[in-house]
Amino acid sequence: MKSAYRVLAYLIALGVVVQAASIAFAFFGLGKWIDDGGTLDKAAMEDQSLEFTGVIGFPIHFLNAYLLALLALILLIVSFFAKVSGGVKWAGFILLVVVVQILLGMFARGLPALGALHGMNALLVLGLALTAATRATRDVSASEKSATSEREMV
Amino acid sequence: MSSRLRLVLACLATTALLAPLAWLWAMSLMPDEYSVMDMGYADHGGGPATDDVAGHAGMHSAMQAGETSIVEMTANPNLPADVQMTLRAEQQEFELASGHEVDGYTLNGRSPGPVIRAEEGELVEVRLVNESVPGGVTLHWHGVDVPNAMDGVAGVTQDSVREGESFTYRFVADQVGTYWYHSHQLSHEQVQGGLFGGLVITPRRGEPADVDLPALVHLYDGHRTINGHEGDVPVEAMPGETVRVRVVNTDNGPMPVWVSGSSYRVVAVDGTDVNEPTPVNAQSVLVTAGGRADLEIVMPVNGSSVRVEMGGSAALVLGGKGPAVAAVEQPSLFVDPLSYGSPASLDFDPDEPMREFEYVIGRRPGFVNGRPGLWWTINGNMFPDVPMFTVSEGDVVRMRIENNSGDVHPMHLHGHHALVLSRDGVAATGSPWWVDSLNVEDGESYEVTFVADNPGVWMDHCHNLPHAAEGLVAHVMYAGYSTPYLIGGKGENKPE
Repeated sequence: MKSAYRVLAYLIALGVVVQAASIAFAFFGLGKWIDDGGTLDKAAMEDQSLEFTGVIGFPIHFLNAYLLALLALILLIVSFFAKVSGGVKWAGFILLVVVVQILLGMFARGLPALGALHGMNALLVLGLALTAATRATRDVSASEKSATSEREMV
Repeated sequence: MSSRLRLVLACLATTALLAPLAWLWAMSLMPDEYSVMDMGYADHGGGPATDDVAGHAGMHSAMQAGETSIVEMTANPNLPADVQMTLRAEQQEFELASGHEVDGYTLNGRSPGPVIRAEEGELVEVRLVNESVPGGVTLHWHGVDVPNAMDGVAGVTQDSVREGESFTYRFVADQVGTYWYHSHQLSHEQVQGGLFGGLVITPRRGEPADVDLPALVHLYDGHRTINGHEGDVPVEAMPGETVRVRVVNTDNGPMPVWVSGSSYRVVAVDGTDVNEPTPVNAQSVLVTAGGRADLEIVMPVNGSSVRVEMGGSAALVLGGKGPAVAAVEQPSLFVDPLSYGSPASLDFDPDEPMREFEYVIGRRPGFVNGRPGLWWTINGNMFPDVPMFTVSEGDVVRMRIENNSGDVHPMHLHGHHALVLSRDGVAATGSPWWVDSLNVEDGESYEVTFVADNPGVWMDHCHNLPHAAEGLVAHVMYAGYSTPYLIGGKGENKPE
């Protein structure tokens, strides 16, 4: 269970990296498309058949957000069983900041300053996920070490 | 803590976390087939409860004694057709006039489909044949207040037309103006893919414009087109001639339109003529998704051309051999239909409504048919827990549409035209502003009114069609009427 906790925490950290990469890919692609003569208005924004290099970044960003929420939920459930020291606390924080992150993304179109918080909060998700993963790693190696020393004593 | 106690606590915590989610998920699942009459809850809008309608909501979909089936709501079958056409729907790869290849849908081998033209009062008869669209098709006459059985909504007013089948639409073209038709089966996919066309109803009397041009604007794979042409689209017009450009926005979001090289007048909105339209200079006009605006331009006598800019990425270039005019940047000011033109008398009293409804759009996380996401809400509830606005024939209905959802919604009421009374509490002062597709921006609220004069079951939904597919759909239900059609089921009806 400790390993599951660790893997999930690392997956969440990886998910944040995917989020950053996909949205940057999409926006730079959009910029190039506009440079090349494309015009973006609301009708084009709502057009699901819009095609340019990087456009795939948008659906990846949106779908991966749900995946991250799901991973954070599973991490919290695993934490109940995993006996990682402080594991429940860290998993709870992660789920909380992931939910906040989704809400910030949801409301930032109405209040763009929230978009800045969305960017900063992403780093918080990453930091917490790495912290949780490190804790679990330390616990795993500590228990392995004690198991080894027990064997040596025998 | 003993390890057994710890395990029990962990299991309890897991249950506490998952049980509400599982419950919400299970509650959101839709049956394989259902009647729109069973969807959501009856909202009588402060008017008398229409017993037969109230009996429907959430109860059963069977027809009750004394009810009229909407199947009977057709044009007079004894009237001969004046305009007859067969439209053959196909799913295929096709080439736009610009040469761009599109994997989508065609009518009679092309997209957009042919423009149907009728004179006021003529009976239009269109036979729709599904040649090769596996998902089934229908045709909805967007903006025309047709008899209910002709409205073309799969699972509500008919079954979708399966491959090899056909369906004949008949209606009297008694509303002069610019309209369009499109599939209302899997509409979010089929309309985007090209299953639509134009419909123009011209007055029996009156001076037509010298040049009368429907301009169906559509994005195919992100390429903006006018009647299937990309970029600058030339249109011949002589100096001094009057040109009427009938802009139809067939996309899912609003589009600004403006004119370079001339002033213009907005002579009609959503098919209804504007009363005493004044010349417009350096202003854009916003045409919402599904909406129409007719612009009238008098060609400059010096022979120079005029550009009608569609969102900045395609334009009609009107003119002949005179000097070409340069595109101007989009004017940031917009023509406001709330105050444009002059007031005119109405043939009903909007100040004494029999029913008053709220249509408040919001957004929150949850499940729609088992899918998690951030979904739209109507009056605080998510699909399918949406209001069914019940009316009786002859009611004057008032509706307040408010949008707090973080996104714009082009709201489309089928079968009726609504008059805009106010926006954000500011009363309308211009020409009577009749709409069938109303652009409701985030944070805005509109008061509209309509007369319930076209009995049946009518969708009232967002015309950003993916939003409709995500549950931003309600309907107006007339007392004493009933539909036998089902969403889902063996008809495989998926209206959105």
